[in-house]
Amino acid sequence: MGLALALEPPPVAPAPVEDQALIAATLAGNGEAFGELVGRYQRAVYHLAARTLRDATEAEDATQEAFFKAYRALHSFRPGAKFSTWIFTICYRLCCDRLARRKRLSGDELPDRADPGAGPALLAERNDEARRLRAAIDLLPEKYRTVITLYHLQGKQYDEIASVLNLPLGTVKTHLFRAKEQLRKALTT
Amino acid sequence: MMMDDDALDRALAALPLDGPPADLQQRILARTVYAPRAAFRGWELWFIAIAAALIGWLGWLVLSAPHAQERVADALARLIAVSGLDSMSTVLWLAAGVSATWWIVQLSVPDRRRRIEVR
Repeated sequence: MGLALALEPPPVAPAPVEDQALIAATLAGNGEAFGELVGRYQRAVYHLAARTLRDATEAEDATQEAFFKAYRALHSFRPGAKFSTWIFTICYRLCCDRLARRKRLSGDELPDRADPGAGPALLAERNDEARRLRAAIDLLPEKYRTVITLYHLQGKQYDEIASVLNLPLGTVKTHLFRAKEQLRKALTT
Repeated sequence: MMMDDDALDRALAALPLDGPPADLQQRILARTVYAPRAAFRGWELWFIAIAAALIGWLGWLVLSAPHAQERVADALARLIAVSGLDSMSTVLWLAAGVSATWWIVQLSVPDRRRRIEVR
């Protein structure tokens, strides 16, 4: 009895269900499966929207819209593709639309380069490393900001980043290199 | 001192993600899986709208023609005459047939196989 107890394997947490299985279950009418997908990715999608748009309310709306579109188009999701890349792509396109609309309405140009005036003053106020890094990312031009955000979310999967942004791999690497360079400069002060 | 690439990578990896509002997931689910189903699908709405437009257009064509009322009344009278509906006996037999069909539809015949299984 004691031996049997000693040999009994420790309780193991159930393996997380693959995204593909959750998508299949959602398509079969299981709403909870889609809830699980939303739970897995809503934070990352919101982060991408918030970093790209720099507006919490708009980021919320974009996140909702991204999942809504994904849900409506789930039947067209290509088996074998990564759900994260797909949902990031949808979210990024929605963010681009919102930025373009914002530009049309305000008549202003999109910020294509870092704001040199606000940078050092803003950074000086923030001592905490994470806050400084976040502030430095916020000051990056939009294209570099998005690349660095996706690099943060997806790691060194450059091809996935290129797929989300619909850019050549080389351009992604260049953007990332320049973004990091600007970040390093901003954080060195 | 300039930050090196590894240090920047570590700082980026350690950067916490922006936290979404607590009720965001519920709002997303309310708009997707828990959203009330639409009474009609998109193509069904298009079909109904096109059919209604066609019927309206045909009706307008008929009614706007010269002597439309007389023509419609004449066509209806001919239709009734051809189908025999102007005869009282035809109408009575038709009514009997319709009511018999309705009563048969309302009857529920017990399933014989099921009765055997119950025994």
